[in-house]
Amino acid sequence: MMKAPFDPVTLATPLFILTIILEIVLARLGKAKARYETKDTAVSLGMGLVSSIAPVVTAGAVVAATVWTFEHRAFTIPMNAVWAWVAIFFLEDLTYYVFHRVSHERRFWWAAHVNHHTSQHYNLSTALRQTWTGGIAGTWALWLPLIWLGFPPGMVAVQKGISLVYQYWIHTEAIGRMPRWFEAVFNTPSHHRVHHARNPIYLDRNYAGILIIWDRMFGTFQPELDAEPCRYGIVKNLATFNLLRVAFHEWVGMAQDIVRAPRHTLGWLFGPPGWSPDGSRETSAMIKARAGGVEP
Amino acid sequence: MSQDELIQLAVSAAAITFLIGLAAWARISRPQAPLDEAAARRLFDEEFPARSLDGVWIASDGTGAIARSGDQALMLCRVGDGFAARQAPWTHALAGRFRGGRLSIRLADVTAPWVTMRFPAWPPQETAA
Repeated sequence: MMKAPFDPVTLATPLFILTIILEIVLARLGKAKARYETKDTAVSLGMGLVSSIAPVVTAGAVVAATVWTFEHRAFTIPMNAVWAWVAIFFLEDLTYYVFHRVSHERRFWWAAHVNHHTSQHYNLSTALRQTWTGGIAGTWALWLPLIWLGFPPGMVAVQKGISLVYQYWIHTEAIGRMPRWFEAVFNTPSHHRVHHARNPIYLDRNYAGILIIWDRMFGTFQPELDAEPCRYGIVKNLATFNLLRVAFHEWVGMAQDIVRAPRHTLGWLFGPPGWSPDGSRETSAMIKARAGGVEP
Repeated sequence: MSQDELIQLAVSAAAITFLIGLAAWARISRPQAPLDEAAARRLFDEEFPARSLDGVWIASDGTGAIARSGDQALMLCRVGDGFAARQAPWTHALAGRFRGGRLSIRLADVTAPWVTMRFPAWPPQETAA
């Protein structure tokens, strides 16, 4: 109940390696659309490797909070019931949407998530460019309500792993569009390319994990447009391949801002990325407005 | 960390080394033609939309460019097979260190601490007057 019966991410690791090899070889042979730059690939995979051990830093707090919440749960949900797996599939995916949206729209959590978006490329290695500081940012707490409802922590962990594995394959330009019914319901390479693009029209869109329905429901959906090819990266692309700078740059920038103008600490921490007290920097909303987009 | 986890980490590191080598071997990065003025202007337009450019200076090796836009210097520098853009006061760019045909501009930006480009001369003669 407390421990996940298996870890989908560990099981899928050989698949990650084989598919990256396949994507590179097919691109080399001109059979698939993919671009790989050596240093960029090294950063993505290096970030992925360290991210697999970084949770150790906060594991104690996460486990303690999880155990305490489960001991005070409202209901007891059986791990072997089909309905429970159906319910956790939808509820975990909705939780992921909330987590992902907060991670883009509030700077404190963006500081942990931004490194996933720092590549100017979009290939399978980009999927592995994962955060080192997610534990410190505390976003894991967003999943505690599921534990409080009575879903066993092991069950939640398995579903989180399934979601992460699902999201791996959509980090590619090699797949154009899936069948229309699939694009309507599920997150796809096309939808997620939009999410990684820095074109004003695509900023802060398509937060979905597995199901794109949440973006459609909450007004954050944007289809990929043939007339607007995706340009990948962040608004101010990094001018470095230094792993430490990639991992911590937004935390450092935030700390510098707080030291410079401590009166605005709350704004620096919890305003949208790009927020500044005098409006001299640009948030996504300002960039979209300047480009002629309409904010929801 | 258990011995199993250490082995897993070591195997992952070996796999990553292999994949980086494969990516280098494949040579499938974006084409990297040296910047010319038209390409630089297009990139400046993407990065700083609606900014008028008073002048554009392309680095001798085509890996970057500086443009003047009023009292601001707009800078493009190659990063891998892409570009990063930054801006700073024009006076700050003019005061950059220039030695041996190499201009270095210090920025207060953890993601771009230095902008470095090659020019035949700096400051540009057109702006010296």
